[in-house]
Amino acid sequence: MRRRDKRSYRVALVADRYLNPPARGLDVIPILLEAGWGVIQLPADAYPREVAGPLLEQVAEQTEEFHRHGYDVVVIGRRAGLKEALAMARVPRLDQFVPVNADALIAFLRERPSPKATTARKRTRRVPVADA
Amino acid sequence: MMAHRDIAAKYPRWVPGVAFVAHCLLNQNAKTRGGARCPGIYSPLVDVLRQKGWRIEQMPCPELAFTGLNRFWAVREQYDTTAFRKHCRRLASAVASAVDVHAKAGRDVVLVGIEGSPSMGVCITSSDPERAGLPEWPDGSDELAPGEGIYIEELRSELAARGITGTRLIGITHQLPDHDRHDERTRLEAFLAR
Repeated sequence: MRRRDKRSYRVALVADRYLNPPARGLDVIPILLEAGWGVIQLPADAYPREVAGPLLEQVAEQTEEFHRHGYDVVVIGRRAGLKEALAMARVPRLDQFVPVNADALIAFLRERPSPKATTARKRTRRVPVADA
Repeated sequence: MMAHRDIAAKYPRWVPGVAFVAHCLLNQNAKTRGGARCPGIYSPLVDVLRQKGWRIEQMPCPELAFTGLNRFWAVREQYDTTAFRKHCRRLASAVASAVDVHAKAGRDVVLVGIEGSPSMGVCITSSDPERAGLPEWPDGSDELAPGEGIYIEELRSELAARGITGTRLIGITHQLPDHDRHDERTRLEAFLAR
């Protein structure tokens, strides 16, 4: 028997410093885990451009797929080169949040609207097959 | 160009190693529809890596960028095309450059794949040479088979071509029918302690 799919339709592009935080730095994994968000990691700032560039290209291509399908996609933190990579993949400007602390991030995530993908799926189910 | 030792010095704290993990272990939204085990982050792996102090690096999902979110469940033979291998080599090249940074800094690097996956399998992939056409195969079809996924194969090949040796691999077993969460944790902890 197939399991019920548990995806959240919510994806956060997260700056590396929040995923692999320095001592006493903000660790967003417990927050995103609790709130049910998936993560696309942005390349570490320490990577040279020739390493980060192709990784950002991959991030942008995957982001485009989520965005096009109506998933809620946000950026947490900053990453040089991300804006250009997303533009190359034709991803429009995404909502971005630079958290000063855990409470601020939790509040930001709570305020997010329902992903379009979930509302579209519910709407589809309400349409009788004969009228579709 | 920045020397690798300078890059290493920019990291803020010492880590016992760096784990390059399959994309879906941080983002279950990338799974084929029907395959997401949790809303977002697969916590059993992240918990162990965090407790042991390992740095986490996420690899791209080869299937998501190639066949998209509306892809069908597929077996290795369906992905084993020249175009998909070329795509995997492009991804593998990007990841290998990042692995190289850490390997040159003397860090222990491990790769974490997904057992049973046609692209991310480490010891177990999925195989059915007859699968084609209208996707109506019975639930529980026996498609698991010994072997590597295509992306893992291409990544290992890319690392070898660059002379990067000593990168160990392990597969997460949450897709397998006999998956046991406790056993997996024990296996992961032993693997990272090596």
